[in-house]
Amino acid sequence: MTVDLVPAPTDEQSMLVDASVRFMESEHPLTTVRARADGAAYDDAAYRRTAAELGWFGMLADAAHGGGSMSGNGLLDAALVAVERGARLQPGPFVGHNVVVHALTTAGSHNDVLDELVTGRAWATWAGTTARCTLEGSRLSGSIAVVADIEVCTWLLVDATTDDRLACVLVRTDTPGVTLRSLGGLDVTRRWSAVELADVAVSDDDVLRSDVDLGEVAAVLGAAESVGAMQADFGVALQYAKDRIAFGRPIGSFQAIKHLLADTSLWLEMAKGLVAAAATSLGSGAPDGAELAHAAKAFVAERGLELAQNCFQVFGGIGYTWEHDQHFWFRRLAADAECFGSAATHRAQLLDTVRVTR
Amino acid sequence: MTDVALDEYRARAREWLEANLPERGAGESGSMNPWDGGDDSAEYYATQRALQKRVYEAGYAGITWPKEYGGQGLSTEYERAFNQEARAFVLPDLGIAGGATLGVCGPTMVAHASPEFLARVVPRMLAGDAIVAQFFSDPDAGSDLAGVRTQAVRDGDRWILNGSKIWSSGAYYADYGMCLARTNWDVPKHRGLTWFLVPTDAPGVTVERIRQINGNSEFCQEFFSDVELTDDDVIGEVNDGWTVTQTMLLYERGGGTARGDGGRAGSGGLRRDVVELIAAVDGADDARVRDLAARIHVDDLARGALGRRLVALMAADPKRAMNLASYSKLSSGVFDPIRAELMMQIGGEAAIAFGEGSPGAAAALGLLNGRFLAIAGGTSQMQRNAVGERVLGLPREPSFDATKPFRDVVRDSVNWSGRVS
Repeated sequence: MTVDLVPAPTDEQSMLVDASVRFMESEHPLTTVRARADGAAYDDAAYRRTAAELGWFGMLADAAHGGGSMSGNGLLDAALVAVERGARLQPGPFVGHNVVVHALTTAGSHNDVLDELVTGRAWATWAGTTARCTLEGSRLSGSIAVVADIEVCTWLLVDATTDDRLACVLVRTDTPGVTLRSLGGLDVTRRWSAVELADVAVSDDDVLRSDVDLGEVAAVLGAAESVGAMQADFGVALQYAKDRIAFGRPIGSFQAIKHLLADTSLWLEMAKGLVAAAATSLGSGAPDGAELAHAAKAFVAERGLELAQNCFQVFGGIGYTWEHDQHFWFRRLAADAECFGSAATHRAQLLDTVRVTR
Repeated sequence: MTDVALDEYRARAREWLEANLPERGAGESGSMNPWDGGDDSAEYYATQRALQKRVYEAGYAGITWPKEYGGQGLSTEYERAFNQEARAFVLPDLGIAGGATLGVCGPTMVAHASPEFLARVVPRMLAGDAIVAQFFSDPDAGSDLAGVRTQAVRDGDRWILNGSKIWSSGAYYADYGMCLARTNWDVPKHRGLTWFLVPTDAPGVTVERIRQINGNSEFCQEFFSDVELTDDDVIGEVNDGWTVTQTMLLYERGGGTARGDGGRAGSGGLRRDVVELIAAVDGADDARVRDLAARIHVDDLARGALGRRLVALMAADPKRAMNLASYSKLSSGVFDPIRAELMMQIGGEAAIAFGEGSPGAAAALGLLNGRFLAIAGGTSQMQRNAVGERVLGLPREPSFDATKPFRDVVRDSVNWSGRVS
């Protein structure tokens, strides 16, 4: 089963999605998600390289760097992969990695790093909005409260204030002064860390010459991963409502359950429509790209968790057990809601993109 | 059809429109908004009917309808061409009942009524001489339409109609009502229904306008006291009214098209009513107001995106179209009231006491009208059943009234114990 993010994908998009899904289900099925949540180690180097061969990391890069999109809209293609990843709780900082690829491509610099990222020789991620860093001369200092899956990353892109403006700085995570501190996390399908940056030496070349808004691309791809998780969670809950018997009949025949699932599926359909619209517009440079990107993240952040709550209610007691899978999506959707900007943050940014006065 | 023929048709239509109808000014919608309390006098509709007759006589009414019933028998390309040309002109406005006449009642009749009936009635509908209102819901049966109790009883070669209909929009200026009545009480509810065309001026018919909470009176209630009808007034087969009803519901719910974005499809900034309200409360820099406005805008954009997604899904799989259309109505039923409440929160005091025509007044009116699509034409609960059963494939609820005679259903319902056997 694939997530129908767009009702009529092109043949090339279908091929990308089908090949990606086959890869995910053989290389990192739900049993692996569960084993890792229970503490099993997982070396994702092979995963990363195969993913790169499938084209996952080149969709926001230009052709000169081995990039290219299936449909002419790389962000939409990346969103199609992201929803399938979210549905299967896949490993690695796919969103952050592609944001860094986008940033380097837009800046037109760091060709060697870009090549590493597109070909899957290294992971990178973007610190996002929780970074509180300053750049003074050639020294970068500060902290990042929470960042996902940075422990597998070779590269970190971080926003820092310098001379009253924002600079986007690329640092190797093994640079002296960079310290990762492992954190426990609500979402057990990811690894969480805090980062300290203490007087880290950076060169002028490490500061990206670009003022592109990375938050919009992160919002679209992050929301796309959430939509996949929503679809998967809902699908399992729907099947459970058909299978579970109470009072002599399937619980899904009761209007209390049926109507809850109908409303929940409405959120899901709206989320798919909005994320697809955002990826289509932002990825093609349409004037409403930013507006739709912020709206998509704001909508999915709230309705995604609400969907997971409703599904949990349908599962009843079994949903409270570790052995049932629902809590993985529940945790994921709660964490996704805060990553790369909360609903409230994106609502505020949304209002900055539109006219509020006559 | 050739492209040349279509181009010629379009040019002739344009010529006729320019010679006969006024051009529409910027921002004019060209049709009466049921909520704005527009002109609904008898003189107004007399003028509009005369205008409709000119459109009909020129051959631009019922472009795709059968020729033998007063239509032009042309393909939809011609209708589309005419509609495109007509967009710049003010078309005849037969109000909400006129919409029902040509959008719901007419197409349903064409699908089910006898040729004699259609040849007699449909040309007059197209010409604006026979406006047909919807006599569907009873006071006792709305969402449960098959449970209507208005009845027609055989008396020799006549039918005697008694009962009451309600929520018939615009019936006060209509010439007829398309009326669903029970004609057999001794069979299950879906099998004893028949449709009739009832003249609103027939002896025994009383039409009363209903005063609505928004101050308007679009809706009507009719009372039937021994109204005499004949077999000529029957639409479709006697006691097979449910078959006709299914066609009628298809047209009433938009024929499997996606609507329900509340006219707010498309991005490109806050909707005008939100901007006006923010200005009225001087809230452009108020973080609380901005967050409320953003909530509205997020939902507006999501509804617009849903509408476009549904259109694409329906195009990709037409067999699913009717079922998916339930999402369209459900989204309006769910999100209109939410939006209305958010508008009230932005408006605050300005939305509870206001000058006429102010943004605060509009917010208050929006609250009063906000549940319209959650109730009218089948409640949100009906849409949730449709989504749950026909889209999601959930099992049906047990039914207690579908197999026993309707007479017994009515008798047993008053002593409902919850025990089936």
